[in-house]
Amino acid sequence: MTTTSPTRHRARAERPLSAEAAALATGPAAHPLHPDHTPTGQLAFGAFFQGVNSSTIWRLPASGDQVAWDSFEALVRTAERGKFAAFFLGEGLRLREHRGVPFELDVAGRPDAQTLLAALAGVTERIGLVATQNTTYNDPVDLARRLQTLDLLSGGRAGWNIVTTDNAWTGENFRRGGYLDHADRYLHAEAFVQVAGQYWRGERIAHDGAHYTVRAQGELPRSAQGSPVLFQAGASPDGQDFAARTADVIFSPHGTLEAAAHFRRSIVERTVAAGRDPAGVKILPGAEIILAATEAEAEEKVRWVRDQQVGPEQAIALLEQYWGRDLSAFDPDGPLPDVPPEVAESGVTRGAGFQFAKAEELTRTWREEATQKGQSILEFARAKAGARRGTFTGSYDTVADRLEEFARLGAIDGLNITPWLIPSGLDDIVDELIPRLQERGVYPSDYAGSTLRENLGLPAV
Amino acid sequence: MSTTTAHPSAADAAPQSVAAPSAAERPLPVLAVDLVTEPALLGGLAELARDLEQAGVGALTLSDGGLHPIHVAAHLAPLTSSIGLLPRTDAVYVEPFHLATQLMSLDHLSHGRAGWLLRAETDPEVAATVGRTVLDLAATAREAADVLETARLLWDSWAPDAVVRDVASGTYVDAARLQYVDVEAETFSVRGPAITPRSPQGLLPVLLADTDRAAAGERTAERADGRVLDLDLSSGLTIAQAAVRIREALAAVPAPGSSAEGGAVLEDPADSGAAPDAAAVRLVRLVGLDLEADPLGTVAGLTADLRSEGLIAPAPTPGQDLRTRLGLSPAPFRLDPARRSDRARLSREESA
Ligand SMILES: Cc1cc2nc3c(=O)[nH]c(=O)nc-3n(C[C@H](O)[C@H](O)[C@H](O)COP(=O)(O)O)c2cc1C
Repeated sequence: MTTTSPTRHRARAERPLSAEAAALATGPAAHPLHPDHTPTGQLAFGAFFQGVNSSTIWRLPASGDQVAWDSFEALVRTAERGKFAAFFLGEGLRLREHRGVPFELDVAGRPDAQTLLAALAGVTERIGLVATQNTTYNDPVDLARRLQTLDLLSGGRAGWNIVTTDNAWTGENFRRGGYLDHADRYLHAEAFVQVAGQYWRGERIAHDGAHYTVRAQGELPRSAQGSPVLFQAGASPDGQDFAARTADVIFSPHGTLEAAAHFRRSIVERTVAAGRDPAGVKILPGAEIILAATEAEAEEKVRWVRDQQVGPEQAIALLEQYWGRDLSAFDPDGPLPDVPPEVAESGVTRGAGFQFAKAEELTRTWREEATQKGQSILEFARAKAGARRGTFTGSYDTVADRLEEFARLGAIDGLNITPWLIPSGLDDIVDELIPRLQERGVYPSDYAGSTLRENLGLPAV
Repeated sequence: MSTTTAHPSAADAAPQSVAAPSAAERPLPVLAVDLVTEPALLGGLAELARDLEQAGVGALTLSDGGLHPIHVAAHLAPLTSSIGLLPRTDAVYVEPFHLATQLMSLDHLSHGRAGWLLRAETDPEVAATVGRTVLDLAATAREAADVLETARLLWDSWAPDAVVRDVASGTYVDAARLQYVDVEAETFSVRGPAITPRSPQGLLPVLLADTDRAAAGERTAERADGRVLDLDLSSGLTIAQAAVRIREALAAVPAPGSSAEGGAVLEDPADSGAAPDAAAVRLVRLVGLDLEADPLGTVAGLTADLRSEGLIAPAPTPGQDLRTRLGLSPAPFRLDPARRSDRARLSREESA
């Protein structure tokens, strides 16, 4: 990776690292985290329009329609104005449920990611268009063809965020049902990606694997970037190894400096073990950014955002998800329920972030934690909601300083930012934060090229 | 699916509560141009679509030439303003859930200009791309009809007012206004509801080209919203020939209502799911456009002349949805109490 691109500012005189960052740096400035990793000192931003979640506030007058074309168009235009490398869409193949009923309290329902991105390709010029698409409930040739179509329609700006959700509950919407053992999700994904790669290269495919029998012929020309950029979101050791072998970019959940530094080391190790150049695997943690002019205002704003994100009903529903029983009789302003959970594990029906928690242990720990901190149900749920995300909050300047440090350490290659408001949620990031990052020399002043690969600093394929 | 569905109402997909228009008031067909989605189209695609729209063409159909027709249609949506967008795609060697989601998403982002030109694939090579062996004709037709019904159930699985955004109760979506689809077809099953809220048209118009009718089968033909008459430009079609073909086709259509009576495969004709006027010619489609030559010249002239002869519908106006232009009534939301998405809660409350 080069940092001499003419579109990038030269770094100004370096400030000393903070004590926290200095403690994490185990090597010289050229390789602070790992001898095999050289930080680029640059950040790339993605805008993650998650679509279905509890972080997007829907109850304000400024909350836009979650399905309307105008919302997507407005957000992608702001992101492109801010030279974001990518616009991301999430995916969930079954409507989230809570106690057997579609979950009513969060934003629900969104358009198909790739169909939407194909349309957005027509109103944008440089920004990458990344669709989260599942390997378990798609057919590899069909998905590969759709991704290549998007890549061609956008002039080489397509990306695929590979996810492996395999539960049988989601499978109820698909031909094969819940056919895949959870342990095999990445074996299956690897075969899937292999078939997709063959299709993109225009090869004759004759694949007889454990999970697919496919006969096909790649038929489309290569795009300006060769083939779609591969993102991977999945944090388990198997997921990391899969990413190290396969992915160009990892969409990680590790947003604190310490967690990000450890994750970088882990990925560098795995990438080297897989025989790849660690510079070819970028890491973009998911992030939420809450900014204001001063620290005090930012603190106040964070509280207000959490209040809007998590109401009393959602706080009770959060606990019900892990207790597995009706807790509506409990006062949201009172202590956590003193009743035992009715399930052994939390289910999959509220989305990937919730699954497989050991209920007995978790609910006990939570009760102790809330008692110790003197938190009510509502206060506890709001604190948990904040803790779930990689959150950057503070004044424009402090957040810019902090991100500069992430870049200098090479802990991350950028952020995948989930706006808490649609469609205006990127405005202050683009107008206030990005100019400060540009001044600090860690954010590009313009797009490096016309393809997503170029704008992420990835080698052509 | 009508014979295999676990749920009696699952077959009951098409809107029938609306009276069919009489022959006299049957609207003129919309003129469409077929674009084959070849990669060679890429450079000038947007310009071509806009030129065709300018020329007064009412709709584009996107036939599969490599690029995925639904994505090409989606790409054109924000680049055009009034033209209808109908991908011509297979109903058989696909995941019904994905297909329905993609099509209703196209309807959202085109503000109600989307339709589906259904075809039933019979090519063994296409079946092999998804690891399947090609079906015989009867099974192909059965599956196409099942997928059509399933798509409609998914499109109809959110009430228009399901997203309530009620700040007082903290409710974003009302599960009582969502419904499962509970489809148990011979070759697939789908639980639902859709992962996408109801699209502007509710039910997208589903049309069937005469050339695709044999493979798609009778049940699909009966349940489609109308026929498509193809006129081939590649053999040097004159205005006079085109006019004769359209007049013949319009005259050959039986009186509205009579087409719904062929529901022999169904147990209950009242519950047939047959569209009110499935035999009506809703689209006249110009195929065989020569992209190398000057396609637009021919099309613009044909469009103007056929329109002045009163054989095709007026040019579309922005804001009018495709159903309206095709002469289809608005699709009402049909709630089936047995499929309500809050049934688990209702039964908990009952037993409490
Ligand atoms: C930051 C992040 C974002 C994700 N976004 C999605 C998503 O939009 N849709 C989805 O189905 N899964 C998503 N996932 C989860 C994936 O389904 C992933 O495959 C799953 O976590 C299982 O992999 P693992 O066991 O390696 O974590 C996401 C995961 C992470 C870490």
